[in-house]
Amino acid sequence: MIEVKDLVKKYSDGITALKGVSFNASKRVTSIIGRNGAGKTTLLRILSTQLMPTSGSVSINGVDIIRNPDDIRNKIVSIPQEASPIGVLTAFEQVKMYLVGRRFSFMDATREANRSLNEIGLEGFKHVPTDTLSGGMKRKVFVAMALASNAEIVFLDEPTTGLDPLSRMEVWSAIRQIDSHIILTTHYMEEAQELSDEVFLVETGKIIEQGTVASLLNRFDGMLRAETSSPCDGCARVSNTYIKYIQKDRAQEYLEKGFTVKSVNLDDLFISKGVNLES
Amino acid sequence: MTCLSARGSTLNLKFTFLLAWYYGIRTIARGPSYIIAALSTPLALLFLVYVLSNGALVKYALVGGFIAIVASVALQSSGDAAFFRLQLRIQDLYVASSVSPSDYMIGLTLSYLMFSLPGIMLYGILGVIYHLFSPFAVAMLILVLALLVLATSSISFIISSSIKHIRNIWGIAGILSVLMTILPPTYYPYESIKRVFLYLLSITPVTPAAVVAQYSFGLSPALPLELYLLIGETVIFFAMARFLTRWREK
Repeated sequence: MIEVKDLVKKYSDGITALKGVSFNASKRVTSIIGRNGAGKTTLLRILSTQLMPTSGSVSINGVDIIRNPDDIRNKIVSIPQEASPIGVLTAFEQVKMYLVGRRFSFMDATREANRSLNEIGLEGFKHVPTDTLSGGMKRKVFVAMALASNAEIVFLDEPTTGLDPLSRMEVWSAIRQIDSHIILTTHYMEEAQELSDEVFLVETGKIIEQGTVASLLNRFDGMLRAETSSPCDGCARVSNTYIKYIQKDRAQEYLEKGFTVKSVNLDDLFISKGVNLES
Repeated sequence: MTCLSARGSTLNLKFTFLLAWYYGIRTIARGPSYIIAALSTPLALLFLVYVLSNGALVKYALVGGFIAIVASVALQSSGDAAFFRLQLRIQDLYVASSVSPSDYMIGLTLSYLMFSLPGIMLYGILGVIYHLFSPFAVAMLILVLALLVLATSSISFIISSSIKHIRNIWGIAGILSVLMTILPPTYYPYESIKRVFLYLLSITPVTPAAVVAQYSFGLSPALPLELYLLIGETVIFFAMARFLTRWREK
């Protein structure tokens, strides 16, 4: 259970990344979603003891991690955003070294490194230097660390950013194999929808929505998103696109008007800001 | 395999040795160019000193070579440490785990020491050829190099943890390399410069290391203050690295 109360983070350059964030997270997979610069990474870095907040409190399973970070560090794993393995070392060496760092014995670290790398499909690549691996495989090396560590909580900061769709699906599949409580940040709504039991929507340093994917999409029940490149009545402008939410039974009518009609997903939590939903 | 650190937590020696083994020995085996890079400047300077002094100062250059190799490898390590922190984000991975800053710092220091070993061996062979070694000189050299690797690696960590952009580290490492391996009396007798300059240069631990080494090999007279300076600077730089290195960021 993660309890966050009134978390504020002001950087020395004057930027306030978090403006009083409070929430409780207890579901198995919790996603923190938001646009670039919303404060997701700052929040995750504070939760995983990498960064001190300016004020506020965070407790994980009853441990005050601001004051006593060492009491929780052996129970968590945090995979940083755009982390990359050390190119000259193999996947096996890096997973084993990470586990020995977590005070596994050499024998246990060897066994668990082999097991986790095999489980996530890196069996044939675990003994080659990681600079020869693809982007997706490199990311899976870190997932193998999380998998092998048996940590209680795993923090993943944008685990699939920059990956092609197939690699992203491979990483998702690897993440699903982790039994721990997972907190992940992403700006891919599809990813949050695919993996999460609970979603927190962050915007300009505040949590503005929270709930399950189904509950967050509830307001769009029976609706579709209609888009066009020309201004239209009741449409909201998002960049060069004009958007309107319509009832499903009017889809044909809008298609004939030249609109593109799409299913609603978590993207619409952002897109719909300031748009009146058609009743 | 643990021992007590200064703050009362136990050092994870298994991790530090494994990091040194993987990032030191295995890396050398996979990319011998690291050794050539570490050796190139000290060997080039040895050649230069030999030619310019008609061989008269070659013993100074050999003794200084040990010092310069260790110092330059440790300084190059600042680039790696910054790269790990800013580019690969490996340091963040270990911050959020039971690895302590001391485990990480000592592990990386030991791995850089591995990079120095081939150079030290080569200079050792040259030292045998020039009849440099005595038991006292060898014992003192080991002590001096151990202190120097701790002091210079600590300086590297302080620098690497304080920079915000990876590009900055290359320039800083270049400047420090000159300040810490060329200017100090590594390749010339320390008596060749005025005492005031010697003391000014003693701000870098390379200077007292070179002075103590020159005395230990019977090349120059003793200057006991420099031994105390080397020990003091090592303790101070190590403590500064331990407490100033940015582990959990603020």
